[in-house]
Amino acid sequence: MGSNKRTLIGTVGYHLLGNHSIGPVLLPDIRDMDLPDDVDVEEMNWGPIAVVQYFQTLKTPFDRVIFLVAIERQDRKMGDITIFKWKGGLPSETQIQACVGDAATGVISVENLLVIGEYFKIWPKELYLVDVEPGPEVAGEQLTEEVRQKAPGILKKLRHIAINGITDEDSTCTLRGNELFNTPKYEK
Amino acid sequence: MCFKNLPIAFDDQGNAYLKEGINDPYEHKVVDLGVEQDKLKRLMEKNGFIRSVDYDPVTRVAGALAFHSVVDLEKKTVLSTNSMATLFRGYEVILKGRDPRDAAYISSRACGVCGGVHATCSALAIEMALGIKPPPLGVVMRNILLAIEYLYDHPLHLFLLAGPDYSEELVRETNPELIEKAANTKAKNKDVHGYDTILDIMKDLNPLKGKLYLEALSMTRVAREAYVLIGGKYPHPQSVVPGGLSVTVNITVLNEVYSRLVKFFDYSQKTTGIWDDVFDFFLESNPEYAKCGIRPATMMDTGVWDRPDYYDATFENCDAWGEARWSTPGVLVDGEVVTTKLTQLNAGMEEFIEHSYYEKWDGHKYKEDPLGTPLSPNHPWNKETIPKPGKQSWRERYSWDTSPTWDRMPMEAGAYTRMYLTAKAKVAPHSKFLENTGHSMKIHVPRHQLPGKTLEWQIPEHWNAFERNRARAYCIPYSAMVAMDNWMLAMDLLKQGKDAVSTKFEIPKTGTHIGFGAWGAGRGFLTHHLVVDKGVIQNYQIVTPSSLNAAPRTPWGTPGPYEEAVLNTPVLEKFDKPEDYKGIDILRAIRSFDPCMPCTTHIMAKDSDHMVTREVTTCACGIE
Repeated sequence: MGSNKRTLIGTVGYHLLGNHSIGPVLLPDIRDMDLPDDVDVEEMNWGPIAVVQYFQTLKTPFDRVIFLVAIERQDRKMGDITIFKWKGGLPSETQIQACVGDAATGVISVENLLVIGEYFKIWPKELYLVDVEPGPEVAGEQLTEEVRQKAPGILKKLRHIAINGITDEDSTCTLRGNELFNTPKYEK
Repeated sequence: MCFKNLPIAFDDQGNAYLKEGINDPYEHKVVDLGVEQDKLKRLMEKNGFIRSVDYDPVTRVAGALAFHSVVDLEKKTVLSTNSMATLFRGYEVILKGRDPRDAAYISSRACGVCGGVHATCSALAIEMALGIKPPPLGVVMRNILLAIEYLYDHPLHLFLLAGPDYSEELVRETNPELIEKAANTKAKNKDVHGYDTILDIMKDLNPLKGKLYLEALSMTRVAREAYVLIGGKYPHPQSVVPGGLSVTVNITVLNEVYSRLVKFFDYSQKTTGIWDDVFDFFLESNPEYAKCGIRPATMMDTGVWDRPDYYDATFENCDAWGEARWSTPGVLVDGEVVTTKLTQLNAGMEEFIEHSYYEKWDGHKYKEDPLGTPLSPNHPWNKETIPKPGKQSWRERYSWDTSPTWDRMPMEAGAYTRMYLTAKAKVAPHSKFLENTGHSMKIHVPRHQLPGKTLEWQIPEHWNAFERNRARAYCIPYSAMVAMDNWMLAMDLLKQGKDAVSTKFEIPKTGTHIGFGAWGAGRGFLTHHLVVDKGVIQNYQIVTPSSLNAAPRTPWGTPGPYEEAVLNTPVLEKFDKPEDYKGIDILRAIRSFDPCMPCTTHIMAKDSDHMVTREVTTCACGIE
């Protein structure tokens, strides 16, 4: 089994925030999946600046990056899964600087990670977000039933993209950095 | 006598006692802030140049800080200020009822930058409460770890957060008259940083693209690499425990640390040279800049970096081991050292909530500390955290921050305070690399790629935004040299075979035990006060540097340090129309404190279902 592409599956998100913590919660299951050797699995909560510096020092860069995240979005039901394809683009320099400021002082945010990574040109051509609708933010260690039921499907989707990339059967939305901090945040 | 306002006196033997004949010794009046607000309202109605200028959030600071000011744009003065911490920090509540061993890991999450100092403060509080003395190498390695944390923190603030305020891009917008002058002003420290003119430096301070900005980002990596060799991970170290560290230390680890540490030798020279040049340029170009963020040097610090031959974790000996620290604990009032004793620092502390979203607690359980020094009912060992969300009102309550005081005075905190106190007090033991003169600190930086050099930070005449940042720049070599001193000690200990880094302990299941951890963060003063009862945490109180700096008014109406500093700040920015006003002078004043609101304020729990509106594992910064 091989994907032929050096791939990273990363989880981004705070711990102990219920469905918002789907990345950290599912990380052990992702690690346990049967994945090709060229697929790495990492928790990516250690700060966008550190992530940039990590990517910059890679001898063999990743060809494909997939982040598992949970962001509240309009018009979705709890547990809905959306695949986003990152299309690049940047917000204003003021916004980028704000992202760097937040990143350097400890904020965990996938938007910051995307923008800072884009600014420092670390992303490969294939960058995807597997984004699960978490519903309202609540404190807690557990996923809700709605999201827990979707976990096998989420893992299957991550594995599928890691091995095959996006195929015709996958419905995707696009995400652009210059639209990330405005509404609408994405387009179908 | 160190206390002027609290009812504490000392007998001939130096023992503290509560002054007699006072009916309610800790009574304090509460001033009606409405009088000031009514006056402002009348002024604003009469004068179109007087405007409210709100910064919500204040950007390029860590976390959720908002600032309200009323500015007279014609007279170029600030008339009123309110500093607002906009989120609640719940760590005191979270920690209640838990095993004390959890405290280091949980309280570390109070900040996404300085998790190590929170973990350490927590470990120190437990060590004091339970009588745990770490072995020498544990103490020394803790010193190195936390010095390295500052080496991450200070460049980050100087170049990423505050630095853009002095960049060519920003100065061109707010004070274009300075640009040509900067182009024609030669940099005095070209030999260490390589820049010919001030404008050349300012261009490389430009955010995102400037070489100095990008270099600081890469230096944060160097510091992190060194940090994780000891802490296991950053920003929340896994190895900081009561009794020392849970990490194996050997020659290899020390060499790996050293290979990172030496990079800060040259960087220290470069950074201090850069900021000396930039700040001298501003202050010489317009002496009014000396008033930006000015306030009396009334500050306090816990001191940091314990001497392994002094530190025994006991409250009884804390004055001795405190004064032996590489940085001296104590209090400065208007630039003069009032005390260097941890017992007095501790006894003078109070927290007030009259203008904060908290309920007053009942009781005065600890009337004295373990040596008999009187303690206020508002002292952290007596305080309880009872959140009470409410509407914002400049007349009543407007912040989630409390108003901490020492001897009833608002106190400033900063990395610079530890250098100021140490240089001024001259009580710190001899160090190979540091020399305290009473008016300066000389820092002997060894050769790396640049030749070795003695850097000298002078206690400034005026305590303002520029001097805060200048001192912070000198805290880079200060921290690096303390790390170097301790690195040499660690090598000696290993040579002697003294490689133990921790002391075993048990949590007593009976009795009540109290302690406090005192270890400054990157931003200065930090204490954790702990009460352990029957094996679990009965009370836990954290006072952070930004709790001090961002404080709202005291009950008797004295503004907190941000509020006071901004009140004293002249408007030097150039603008044609009020709409063009950007408020850079106010922002420079606030940012010079290196605000870090995550550890001041945190997760907003509303109603009874504890809904979190903005989270954070590392830092509850309200970024929405």
